[in-house]
Amino acid sequence: MASKSTPRPLPGRHQLPREFIAQHQRARIINALTLEVSEKGYRSVTVADIVKRAGIARNTFYENFGSKEGCFLAAQQFAMSAALGRVVDAAGEIDDWPHRVEAGLAAFLRFVAEEPALARTCMVDALAAAPTSVRYYEESLQAFVSLFRLGRDVSPHGQELPATLEEALIGGVFWILYQRLLVAEPETIGALLPELVEFALTPYLGAEAARAVALEEKDASSAPTPEA
Amino acid sequence: MSDPVNPSVDSPEYPPELARLPPGRHGLPREFVAHNQRERLIAGLAEAVAENGYAGTTIAHITRHAAVSRRTFYEHFNSKDECFVAAYDTVMAELRQRVDQAFSEEEEWPQAIRAGIAAMLEFLTAEPHLARLSMVEALVAGPVVIERYDSAIQGLVPYFEAGRKGRSAEVLAGLSPSTEEALVGGMVSLISRRIFAERTEELESLLPDLVEFALTPYLGSVEAAKVARQG
Repeated sequence: MASKSTPRPLPGRHQLPREFIAQHQRARIINALTLEVSEKGYRSVTVADIVKRAGIARNTFYENFGSKEGCFLAAQQFAMSAALGRVVDAAGEIDDWPHRVEAGLAAFLRFVAEEPALARTCMVDALAAAPTSVRYYEESLQAFVSLFRLGRDVSPHGQELPATLEEALIGGVFWILYQRLLVAEPETIGALLPELVEFALTPYLGAEAARAVALEEKDASSAPTPEA
Repeated sequence: MSDPVNPSVDSPEYPPELARLPPGRHGLPREFVAHNQRERLIAGLAEAVAENGYAGTTIAHITRHAAVSRRTFYEHFNSKDECFVAAYDTVMAELRQRVDQAFSEEEEWPQAIRAGIAAMLEFLTAEPHLARLSMVEALVAGPVVIERYDSAIQGLVPYFEAGRKGRSAEVLAGLSPSTEEALVGGMVSLISRRIFAERTEELESLLPDLVEFALTPYLGSVEAAKVARQG
């Protein structure tokens, strides 16, 4: 469909395909919303703010999203799938469960440190936005529950562990990260890895074994420190 | 319909306008139904939010439930947000007082933790609309409330830090600076999920899991489980 707001083609004879422009536009709008929400809070942000930030026409916003709420939900889904993608990439190949958890947590902390605006969107702003975003947040946490739950199979007392343990562990990890995001200290987040690993593994393996995994010497490729 | 008022209609403390206050259809505790307008506005907000959600609540809703005029509202509060902050603080003060009381009645720390958590769950179960107000609606009521919410949760940390006292070096080595924060965050997460999902009737069944989760880093899982399952 023709749109007055289609960007002018790049110099040269190439026209960008319409689907690419549409996808790119969607990403631009999501990016603009993410920045606006992080600055003003979800409630205060208007569609006018978003279109101004994105440099698009109001029509274009509504061609892509029905409402601010719909746009936010898309932003949240984008952010969360970015996070989960990193976790799955890092942890998916590892057979040993404690190291799988360690790798997954490290990848998640790297995501929070490297993409604080996205992390804020899905972990902070989501809770204050709309019922749809809270519901999606809850569902996203479930993805992490399944990663942790595998620990019951390797734990000597997996049978006796409380049913809600994974929920509580994940809630605890998220709360700590949330606090750090609130005070805008993403650079401190990598340093939390050993204690979060220990916290997560202890109920399954006991304190000593958990600490051993948490304190293992790391090689440079998996170090969670931010790029210089 | 419960009679929310304590003093009899004839007593000198009973203000005439209280007779017009609609009965609390949402089971507000009698402590909230008041002898003064500010408290009635707070109670009115709680009822209005229970009916309409925070976003859908108007000042007209609040004043109707409180049986006061709009002008009276503005004598006490500049905005809906401000009224909400007052309501939030009132609920949290009540909750805090109950948790504190239950905690201090026990001599041993593990039992004190159990009693404190039980008191919290009891309150939230008995007052599902206030539970929702303080843990669901609070999140969409503006930055001032969110800050209060965060402080309230962080305010639980000292109850757990007390558990470090007298522990062996080995146990202490297993704790980190963020242990109590993680415990508190995890417990609140479990509780608020059920409130979000309107499953407050499940809250009290969480007690054993919550106690075991909270005590395990200090006592070990066997001892923590024992305390958790105490009658």
